[in-house]
Amino acid sequence: MLLKTETYKQQSSIAQYCRDGKEVAILNAKPERLPHYRRLVFNVVKDALETTYPISHKYIDSEVWKEIVFNFFSEHKCKDPQVWRMPFEFYEFCKTKNYDEKYDLPFLNNLLYFEWVEVELYMMEDISLPQFLYSDNWLQKRIAVNPEHKIIKLEYPVHMEKPFDTVNKKGDYFLLLYREKETGRIQFTNLSILFTFLLENIVSAEKTLEEIFNDILYIFGINHLEMLQNESFKFLNDLKTRGFVLGVYKK
Amino acid sequence: MSKNKMNIKTGIGFRKDFAEEFLTGSVLKPGFVELAPENWMKIGGYWKKKLNQLAKMYPITSHGLSLSVGSPETLDMEFLKNVKQFLKEYNIEIYSEHLSFSKCDNAHLYDLLPIPFREDAVKHVAERIKQVQDFLGRRIAIENVSYYTPVAAEMDEATFVSNVIEEADCNLLLDVNNVYVNSFNHNYDAKSFIEKLPLNRVAYIHMAGHTKVAPDLIIDTHGEAIIDPVYELFEWTLDKVKPVPVLLERDFNIPELAEMQFELNNLEAIMTRKWETENKSIVVSK
Repeated sequence: MLLKTETYKQQSSIAQYCRDGKEVAILNAKPERLPHYRRLVFNVVKDALETTYPISHKYIDSEVWKEIVFNFFSEHKCKDPQVWRMPFEFYEFCKTKNYDEKYDLPFLNNLLYFEWVEVELYMMEDISLPQFLYSDNWLQKRIAVNPEHKIIKLEYPVHMEKPFDTVNKKGDYFLLLYREKETGRIQFTNLSILFTFLLENIVSAEKTLEEIFNDILYIFGINHLEMLQNESFKFLNDLKTRGFVLGVYKK
Repeated sequence: MSKNKMNIKTGIGFRKDFAEEFLTGSVLKPGFVELAPENWMKIGGYWKKKLNQLAKMYPITSHGLSLSVGSPETLDMEFLKNVKQFLKEYNIEIYSEHLSFSKCDNAHLYDLLPIPFREDAVKHVAERIKQVQDFLGRRIAIENVSYYTPVAAEMDEATFVSNVIEEADCNLLLDVNNVYVNSFNHNYDAKSFIEKLPLNRVAYIHMAGHTKVAPDLIIDTHGEAIIDPVYELFEWTLDKVKPVPVLLERDFNIPELAEMQFELNNLEAIMTRKWETENKSIVVSK
């Protein structure tokens, strides 16, 4: 490296000061102006987090939120050069630090994750649709779906209720989030555990619908194939109307 | 895009804040638009569609934020690869970056910090710019940044900027507003500063507004209209540089689009007067 250790140290000092705000001595600097750097840098991070996590920011006590954001930026080294992706690191940081327990916010990890997935899906690179056909015969075919989606599991229903109202509702909540091809908007829908299993198998595109039904009968101990098929077709047709189910794979 | 056409054109920094109105309306009609690759590469969905729409309507230049040519650590080649792909995908001729650092100790800061004006930093930064240029297979433009305090400086700013640009053999993005801001904040003469720069390397000019936050301090906010002294400095500068594209930066406190068009018209009028009507021979100091 052509940079001398002393020069590096000076750069490192001002960078660290911008991250944690702790007083620092920098050669030939105007100390009264250093806080402007701290403010400018911190505001970028703060704004990006508030934009990605509007619900968390709105409902979590402002002092707690401020402290969490401060801890994140001072302790964590942001790795992603694209600032819009940085909030994912914030989510991971909060999870690692067990802030849900520390600040008595049991829903915190779920809420951050849900808000992040919405942003990630909204911004993610386009994925080409698979080659599919419209068909009335779904049973012996593999069902093709919009690949721009995510199936997630939450413990608190933060996607349906205000965060603090979910505290006593711990359970298993499955949902499908997908990006509408035409508008780019993110839609989500609640899933039962059975339909989660069905969708995950459809998405993997390894089995025909009939094979998946057989698996469901066995795994869930269901005896009524006809009822399963009727309910599943109703569910899949609804997803077709909403543009998530496309048709059947060509091959 | 045609270079000759670009040279007398004024552009606007493209912001999501006014994207819809801009793309569907006819109030703001720049000659080109500039965007930060970091905010637009590796994306899809709604904003990718808007980007594609934009690219069909205007030539694009790009002005990076995260390359961090002044960082002590090694360059992020994965990031640079994505930038290269982005420049290719949108046929972008001008790629510029800041003479600053936004990453240190492997932590991104997402804003621009001043590099120590020192000889070793000149060598280090110039070497990194050369690496970038080698990898991209093109000359890039490096911008003189605004700064609020020197950091461990051992030479003056003009010497530092000039030495980096010359040693890296890159172009200069001359930000006239930044010169004004720095001359105010550090109490030097803006014109003398500009005269010391390698003006033969100016490939692009930035203009912007700023905010005075204390009697002795201006912050380069890009949040206000350009003020008259900056227009005057711009006009004076045009006598000394060859015709290049000029960009209006407006990142915050976005006004009505008509106000930005008014500013573009002002800039274009000065450019036309200086570079076409007067048809002066350009005096280049270096």
